[in-house]
Amino acid sequence: MKHSRSAAALGLASCHLCGKLSPIVLGRCPRCGSRLHLRKPHSLERTWCFLFAAGALYFPANLLPIMAVGGLGGTSYDTIMSGVINFWRKGDLLVAGIIFTASILIPILKMLALIWLCLAAGGRVQASPKALTRLYHLTELVGRWSMVDVFVVAILVALVQVGALSTVLPGPAILSFAAVVVLTMFAAMSFDPRLLWDRWAPGDPVSMP
Amino acid sequence: MKSIHAGLSWPRIDDAPIEVACPFCDTLQSAPRLVEGDAAHCCRCGEMLYQNRPRSLARATGFSAAALVFMALAHLFPSITVDAGSVRRELTILEAAAAMLREGHPLVAMAAVAFTLIAPLSLVGGLLYVAAPLRFGVALPGARGVTRLFQLSEPWNMLEVFLLSILVAMLKLGVVGDIQLGVGIWALAGLVFCTAAAMAGIDRLELWDRLEIALQAKR
Repeated sequence: MKHSRSAAALGLASCHLCGKLSPIVLGRCPRCGSRLHLRKPHSLERTWCFLFAAGALYFPANLLPIMAVGGLGGTSYDTIMSGVINFWRKGDLLVAGIIFTASILIPILKMLALIWLCLAAGGRVQASPKALTRLYHLTELVGRWSMVDVFVVAILVALVQVGALSTVLPGPAILSFAAVVVLTMFAAMSFDPRLLWDRWAPGDPVSMP
Repeated sequence: MKSIHAGLSWPRIDDAPIEVACPFCDTLQSAPRLVEGDAAHCCRCGEMLYQNRPRSLARATGFSAAALVFMALAHLFPSITVDAGSVRRELTILEAAAAMLREGHPLVAMAAVAFTLIAPLSLVGGLLYVAAPLRFGVALPGARGVTRLFQLSEPWNMLEVFLLSILVAMLKLGVVGDIQLGVGIWALAGLVFCTAAAMAGIDRLELWDRLEIALQAKR
């Protein structure tokens, strides 16, 4: 293979939206009209900010009750974790697994992955950019699925609300939980995977120490 | 007049060889035309650059039109019905958002509306609005803005997540009463499938290349 070059080194920017390659001096993409950037602007700063906000909201999202189930025997409050444990005790291992993965595992793993990506892009951690790019793909792909718990609570509230025996009400955690999901999605969107590759001169062998 | 070879790539505004930069590692490389069904991968990081989908415009048009029909059905008919003695509750997609609004969570309700109604609608409707006239080489007014809009709304379409939520909620409801599946849930499943097929049906670069030609022809 010939010696490969980075487009940014030649002053060329590929449009975020339509993918057309244009000189950065044009300012806007001649095809779709989006602003041109060599890299996503303030990528690392923005990603860190969204991550800090999501990390702060992660605690109320998990510690406060996400829904309140009222019945004849009084009202009981469910956090995300207690919901998982209830399913586990009842023997619904599959549902317990789905909720645990979507609501607890994915958000925390996603935040850790983005922290690692930011550190690697800032040069504090050494890792193969190829593996990191794959990790980035994964974080973008799975992020939306954390919304499952929010939707489940909304559906239950809609269905059981005027039930004769029991009522389901949303708990205070639902807002912070939805915010965690949205904020981590924004964090993943503002991260620029090209920063991972900029550290390695083009043409280098990809096998890293 | 652009030369269109049978089965070989889509027309481009410029017949000269063009270059693309990989969106993941920014490596500059020439972008050869592809045979239908082929994909081009970055020579440095291995991520896919673009692909030539077979009968792309027909697929995008067909699946997005079908998705719109399914969307109407999914919103009109209840997904699940719960019979608990004397009380009978039906769930449509917007009902979940309305319940959050009633219970004092307007922000969550707004998010639910955005993720289950606005984003899917602009995604599917926008693709149909752009792809269907492009089959005849025509770009309707505002096609550029519509394409931007539906590409930006793509990550926020969460109907497949909502479908999974309905299934999980059904298992949670098991103790409350009799659960019946309605037309809505099958329409929702069809909608999720058709949306995915429509979006996978045409490559971003191909759509913009064709749109560029149509827009130039209009001038």
